[in-house]
Amino acid sequence: MPRLTTCLICLYLIAGISIVTAEIPVADQEFFEKSVRPILAEHCQECHQADEISGGLRLDSKTGWMSGGDSGPAIVPGDPDASRLMAAVSYDDRDLQMPPRNKLADNQIAVLRAWILRGAPDPRVQTPQDAKGIIEASPGMSIQAGKSFWSMRPIGSPEPPRVSNSDWVQTPIDAFILAKLESQGLRPAPPADRRTLIRRITYDLTGLSPTQQEIDDFVADESPQAIQRVVERLLASPRYGVRWGRHWLDVARYADSNGLDENLAFGNAWRYRDYVVNAFNDDKPFDRFLVEQIAGDLLPDATNETKTATGFLVLGAKVLAEPDREKLEMDTIDEQIDVTGKVFLGMTLGCVRCHDHKFDPVKQTDYYALAAIFKSTRTFAESRTGAIKHWHEHVFADQHEVDAIASIDKLISQRKSAAASYKSQAISKLRQRTRAQAVEYLVAAAAFTPSATLNEITAIAEPSQLHPRVLHQCRLYLQHHPNEPFFAHWHQSTRAATKPEQAQAAIEQHYRPILKRLLEQRQKNPTARRLDDPELEAVRAIIDDNTGLLAVPAKPEYAFDAETLAEYDRLMEVARLFESDAGDLTAAMGVSDQAIVNQLAIHIRGSHLNLGEPVSRAFPEVMRFSPVPPIFPTHQSGRLELAHWMADSRHPLTARVYVNRLWRWHFGEGIVRTTENFGALGDRPSHPDLLDWLTRYFIASGWSTKEIHRMILASNTYQMASRHENPQRELAVDPDNRMWWKFRNERLQPEAIRDSILALSGQLDEAIGGKTVPLRNRQFVFNHTSVDHTKYDSVRRAIYLPVIRNNLYTFFAQYDYPDPTMPTGDRSATVVAPQALWMMNSDLVMDASERFADRLLEAASSDASRIESAYVQALGRTPTEAEKRRALSFIDQWSAVGRSDAATVDKSTTRRAWSLFCQSLMASNEFIYVK
Amino acid sequence: MQYPTVPNRRRLLKTTAVGFGHLAFTAMLGQQAQAEGRDGVDSGIVSDAQSNPLTAKVPHLPARCKRIVFLFMKGGPSHVDTFDPKPMLDRDHGKPLPFDLPRVTFAKQGNLLKSPWQFSRHGESGLPVSELFPEVAKHIDDLCILRSVHGTNPAHGGALLKLHTGSDQFVRPSLGSWVTYGLGTENENLPAFVTICPTLAHGGVNNWGAAFLPAYCQGTPIGNASMPARSVQVRHIRNRRIDTQLQRQQLDLISAMNHDHLREMDGDQTLDGRLHSYELAYRMQASMPEIQDLERETAVTQRMYGIDNPVTEDFGRQCLMARRFLERGVRFVQVTHSDSEVQWDQHSNLYQGHTKNAAEVDLPIAGFLSDLKARGLLRDTLVIWGGEFGRTPTAQGNNGRDHNPHGFTMWMAGGGVQGGMAYGATDDYGYYAAVNKMHVHDLHATILHLLGLNHERLTYRYAGRDFRLTDVAGQVAKGILA
Repeated sequence: MPRLTTCLICLYLIAGISIVTAEIPVADQEFFEKSVRPILAEHCQECHQADEISGGLRLDSKTGWMSGGDSGPAIVPGDPDASRLMAAVSYDDRDLQMPPRNKLADNQIAVLRAWILRGAPDPRVQTPQDAKGIIEASPGMSIQAGKSFWSMRPIGSPEPPRVSNSDWVQTPIDAFILAKLESQGLRPAPPADRRTLIRRITYDLTGLSPTQQEIDDFVADESPQAIQRVVERLLASPRYGVRWGRHWLDVARYADSNGLDENLAFGNAWRYRDYVVNAFNDDKPFDRFLVEQIAGDLLPDATNETKTATGFLVLGAKVLAEPDREKLEMDTIDEQIDVTGKVFLGMTLGCVRCHDHKFDPVKQTDYYALAAIFKSTRTFAESRTGAIKHWHEHVFADQHEVDAIASIDKLISQRKSAAASYKSQAISKLRQRTRAQAVEYLVAAAAFTPSATLNEITAIAEPSQLHPRVLHQCRLYLQHHPNEPFFAHWHQSTRAATKPEQAQAAIEQHYRPILKRLLEQRQKNPTARRLDDPELEAVRAIIDDNTGLLAVPAKPEYAFDAETLAEYDRLMEVARLFESDAGDLTAAMGVSDQAIVNQLAIHIRGSHLNLGEPVSRAFPEVMRFSPVPPIFPTHQSGRLELAHWMADSRHPLTARVYVNRLWRWHFGEGIVRTTENFGALGDRPSHPDLLDWLTRYFIASGWSTKEIHRMILASNTYQMASRHENPQRELAVDPDNRMWWKFRNERLQPEAIRDSILALSGQLDEAIGGKTVPLRNRQFVFNHTSVDHTKYDSVRRAIYLPVIRNNLYTFFAQYDYPDPTMPTGDRSATVVAPQALWMMNSDLVMDASERFADRLLEAASSDASRIESAYVQALGRTPTEAEKRRALSFIDQWSAVGRSDAATVDKSTTRRAWSLFCQSLMASNEFIYVK
Repeated sequence: MQYPTVPNRRRLLKTTAVGFGHLAFTAMLGQQAQAEGRDGVDSGIVSDAQSNPLTAKVPHLPARCKRIVFLFMKGGPSHVDTFDPKPMLDRDHGKPLPFDLPRVTFAKQGNLLKSPWQFSRHGESGLPVSELFPEVAKHIDDLCILRSVHGTNPAHGGALLKLHTGSDQFVRPSLGSWVTYGLGTENENLPAFVTICPTLAHGGVNNWGAAFLPAYCQGTPIGNASMPARSVQVRHIRNRRIDTQLQRQQLDLISAMNHDHLREMDGDQTLDGRLHSYELAYRMQASMPEIQDLERETAVTQRMYGIDNPVTEDFGRQCLMARRFLERGVRFVQVTHSDSEVQWDQHSNLYQGHTKNAAEVDLPIAGFLSDLKARGLLRDTLVIWGGEFGRTPTAQGNNGRDHNPHGFTMWMAGGGVQGGMAYGATDDYGYYAAVNKMHVHDLHATILHLLGLNHERLTYRYAGRDFRLTDVAGQVAKGILA
């Protein structure tokens, strides 16, 4: 065993740093060295030693196993039955088995047992060098250090700094930005031109482009209030909530289906979506917005609206078929804590489930104190679909509606069972037929080998009116059952015969009488399940075995003829469509309280099977702004207290995180770029004073989102051009534009691209709200069949397209739509070729281009004015002369392409030329990037 | 006036992978990524052309294989009926399992159920294979049978996610995405990661998704499990209204517009990238259908994959398509055997269901292995076969088996693993992995190792944490390395 030897030598070398003490009797010492140390060295220490310390346990020194791991001491000297080490190596407990990949040999286990009985004499004393490993392994930032970390400090009250170019300062924001630029000798870009500016603001606030009229009005309005007027008009438009609500849905990981393991429709999620859109349109104060989402059901003035808000906690993707109920509960709580932490606090609290945070000042006690609050929260309903659990919903329906829905449920199951019973009847008809033809099957099966192709088998089956797939199965079954007595003659005949015909004749001769007798017996007593004659009964059992010799294929496509299949498919589709269109109980996804727990045990390494000390409900220590600990009600989960604590003006994170989000959504990059992480591994703010000033302003304005919009949009920082006239120094000093010396080019989000394309085609439906997912609540989006019924052909605003986890709209997925299972405050903007394929070849773009072309052809009289109108509508500007010429020549050339005779140009050819030109405009960079 | 464009490598790496391939941004990008304490810091893998995330990269370790094909048997084939014979199961048929069931089981379980199939020994190695796989058995000396694989989740969704992404709790990048991230591609005009006829259920897209990895890492689906392999295509790969000659002229117009715009925007790289993405898309429109056109193969080859037989045609087509992708430098190809009704999920009717399923895949897989070998591809292609779990040796109902994630069989071939080897073992009845246990994390660690990637170093920073495919676990099964 060369490998073992090398391994041992290495480990002895490591162990060499231990000092052998003289106090252990020589016999014990010998026993340890000869028998125990090799086992520990070979099987345990790879993971349980200074460099690795799995489970917090070291087995390379006595001190190591005495202090033990996360679950306590590993060995109780003298008492093997009380020693966790013995429990682990015995492999009796499925959840605690060590070594993990192979059980020790019985004699090795006996050695360890004997050793512990002796009192576990161990000469390996820990050296200071070893001890260091343990100290280093305890990670993270202390609470004290954490309190002075930038994001945990109380919000400061900085004054806008003084700048030399004070003319540039329109709002305090500009003072902060300019001061930093000036300190580096950088200059801000010039103001953007009016057309660029109104396109930028309009897309920013509404996700749509300005109309020609709006552009003209703004360009003509020379008053100093012009921008303010535009901003107020847009903020008052319901389009604003559609656009900014969607930003919030990104961080709330909004979706219309569960989509993790099982994809059931969240048929009522839309109520939360509409709640969010309304909240933005109404400028609901953010502190209230937060409280409603975390604890809207517990508010003294709770309404359907505030209960709907708690959908935030239920929208996560869950492993609905997880059979381990406890694991599911803790996984769900984990998701809720993780999302709450990232969305509102910019903290990665999910990391703390298994261990103290490696980098941030958050301890496991903090995590389980929060988990205790969520443990008392009900997220799952009592109902289920088979093994698939349902999530909790607040039912707003009255009894009358409940009854009505119950009768709809009945109709749905009637339709489903109609399809199912049609199928089973057809199958049983087929079975009767094949059983009556048993002899023919046995005879035909002798004509080919098991490896024959189905085509060959079909050629044999069809003349005898046999089912080819049943015949194939029959042949394989015979092959797989060489020892079945009933088939002995069949096998004998095929072996003996030199030609298949001989075998077939012999088989016919042998089996025909037996099966004839079987038939007669059956006719005599058609209802009998068993036959009295034991010999015949054995034959009957073989012939009647649904999954044996004459098994009918389970898959309808293989079992049925075209006509039967078509009818079955039709019935299935009828049932599915009926279900999809059926009404739902008026209800909203949301949480409520359940049995209250005051304490929750720490889950060691995050495992619900390994519990440690219990902790009481509390808020994370590092963020506490009051030395007085909260008193939690015994009759409620404590979510309301948690929500109020987060929404307190003294909380160091909540408002900062949100204001930074708003900045990110306006500018394409945050003051803190990691919008979900304000911890040690997160980004540091580029302008900490600006962030604090804005945060303070935000709270002072009553947590008003719209006030922040006004403040930002009025700034010169926002109104800068995206092009600097001579940025040599700027590029050298700040290539990433972290100091905002120009506005960033931004690619439109896929929603805006799609909505703009539909708007150009004249199809966009701007209706607000309502159920739009074309599925009934809890209906399967996908079951095992993978048939894709998801349709994205609605012409409503993009926010109203279904968000099907697992099967996002391809176009959106290609254009960096966020993964709707995790909070995303910082969407990326990638460039991949499938985006181009979609622009070039998708029906949506091509249809929209045709409609856009039709509108141009109808509206304007000359090609030149059509081109001009197309540019203005699509790009918000008039074309240059060169562009006009290029477009005209494209149209002319194209119109010529389709004709064989130059004299006539087919109308449809002209239309296609215009349509391709329109498509080109939509595909251009200028269309999908905002300057 | 034009100004020098300035590199921001991290941002570009994260955002721009033009095409399935990527543009040569070499001129613009001169620096290595620096650990900035931000998301998206890469994994210490050296890209030879520093610009392009998809350019083939130098791995951490000497690679034993270059590409992977995963033949995924959706639903969970039974190991005790295929590659892991259990004489004790025959002996004790009908008796209760003589030890405890898992703490959590999926459904109620009955007594031990012997296999309806006979096993016989094959090849020089003499390893047993059941009569369900007579053709694959002929390749036994190239197979490394992993008999001790185990996972954690007993439900399809959780188990699929665990097998494909390493996590059954959160959405995480898939194996193929990690491989793409770590190694890039060898053909810039094709996706690096392709999945043919994947199932949309049980995790669906998440099983080939990139999650927080850059978008270019995500798998490109070709059809889905409900579609016949004969008809599947990449979405929007063809324009059904105009021919390519006319489309070329349209692209020239778009290109002219974009060039004007680019000049006005001081040569912004992303805009330039998007401009070129149209050219790549245009080229891909030509290359994808060519690869998928199996009529270009000889009749002999088509027969070898069983394309002449309706029983084996569908899976045969998938395998042959996979070979054509692998040949052209696609890094990771997944082929899924899953039809709309009968997957490998025989809770009942084990005999009928497994017979049907095995008959559909046996010959195509054997043909695929022969073909790879004949073309010299098997040496550096790792073939992986298996489902999301195995099945219980105990009966469900009277003739079925339930899900069993506690011990099951997968096999590998080619790409740096020993052939004719059985690695690990389950207990006497095949319920639990018992010897050289190989958790799904270990399987992932081993696969990455074979590709030359150290699973502990292939990390990606997201939301303040360095993520790995193997989370905090995983050990390379060194015993199977050739």
